[in-house]
Amino acid sequence: MRNAKLMAACVLCMSLGGCAATQYDVAGASAPLEIRSVQTREYDALDKPMTMRAVIATLQDLGFTIDQADLGLGIVTGTRMLVSDMRMTVSVAPKADNRVSVRANARVGETSITQAEVYQDFFVVLDKAMFLTRNNVD
Amino acid sequence: MNAHNQNYIRTRLYAVLLTAVLALAGCATQPDPNLLRLSESTLEIRAMQTRTFAAASETEILAATAAALQDMEYNIDQIDSPLGIISASKVSDADSTSEKTTRFIFDLLCGCGGSQFAADKHVITITTVVLPSLAVQGDFVTRITIQQITYDKMAQVTSRSAIDDPEAYQAIFERLSKSLFIEVNDNA
Repeated sequence: MRNAKLMAACVLCMSLGGCAATQYDVAGASAPLEIRSVQTREYDALDKPMTMRAVIATLQDLGFTIDQADLGLGIVTGTRMLVSDMRMTVSVAPKADNRVSVRANARVGETSITQAEVYQDFFVVLDKAMFLTRNNVD
Repeated sequence: MNAHNQNYIRTRLYAVLLTAVLALAGCATQPDPNLLRLSESTLEIRAMQTRTFAAASETEILAATAAALQDMEYNIDQIDSPLGIISASKVSDADSTSEKTTRFIFDLLCGCGGSQFAADKHVITITTVVLPSLAVQGDFVTRITIQQITYDKMAQVTSRSAIDDPEAYQAIFERLSKSLFIEVNDNA
């Protein structure tokens, strides 16, 4: 009797655990405005093509290969092969007053990266690349 | 042990079980927060991955790069010429001849099909970015990054990594240099 109850509890827990797996995460889970602000920086040093150049150099510095790039839309996607693949998409959009906005989002395997410090590190590397590009260093 | 104690133990057992299941369900942990921190060897790696070539135009050096990738048996996956990006990949045999021979003998000796656990193929992905030098007019800076995934005979991934062997980059730049020479002379 006791064993039967224990078994029933196990089965219940397992079936509850299984329920989550049947949902498709098509719309994501994060709060759009919060995550956008963490993923976005504005620059006024360079124009869009030169910012793209700095973004690509940054991705290469971080060990990515480029899967897709489009200068017109200002979008670059790269992959870095870790234990799971890390994929990152960076978009560069011109703003008013010669400013350029850069937004990056990254996933590792099945997980979207939401930690602010990871994006901060990305922008630290991008800041350096922007500085070098602005000073005509290859 | 009386019935009260047994009930108590059982309740605790359920509580522990439930906690464990809930804890496991929460295991969708965030990745390493230092993922995008630059390593100390970044400058050395960048130098190894970069060469400067003189060329008449961006089109000429991009065409020479694409041809060099074809020479090295890659297929081109993606080109964006204004950004100077060419990405290419190939699937290649991961085993050296000596490894194959050793494994064949091993199979013969123990008849246990050891080959199926051995490395079987690499998927190599390469990106080349060719851009006009900001420092010297007429020069083009070429930077290459290479990564690989190795699969075993059961199509399971056994490793994923960047390739950071200086000889690999050296060999590719030599190919590129020859290809550029051919491109210039073909058009002359």
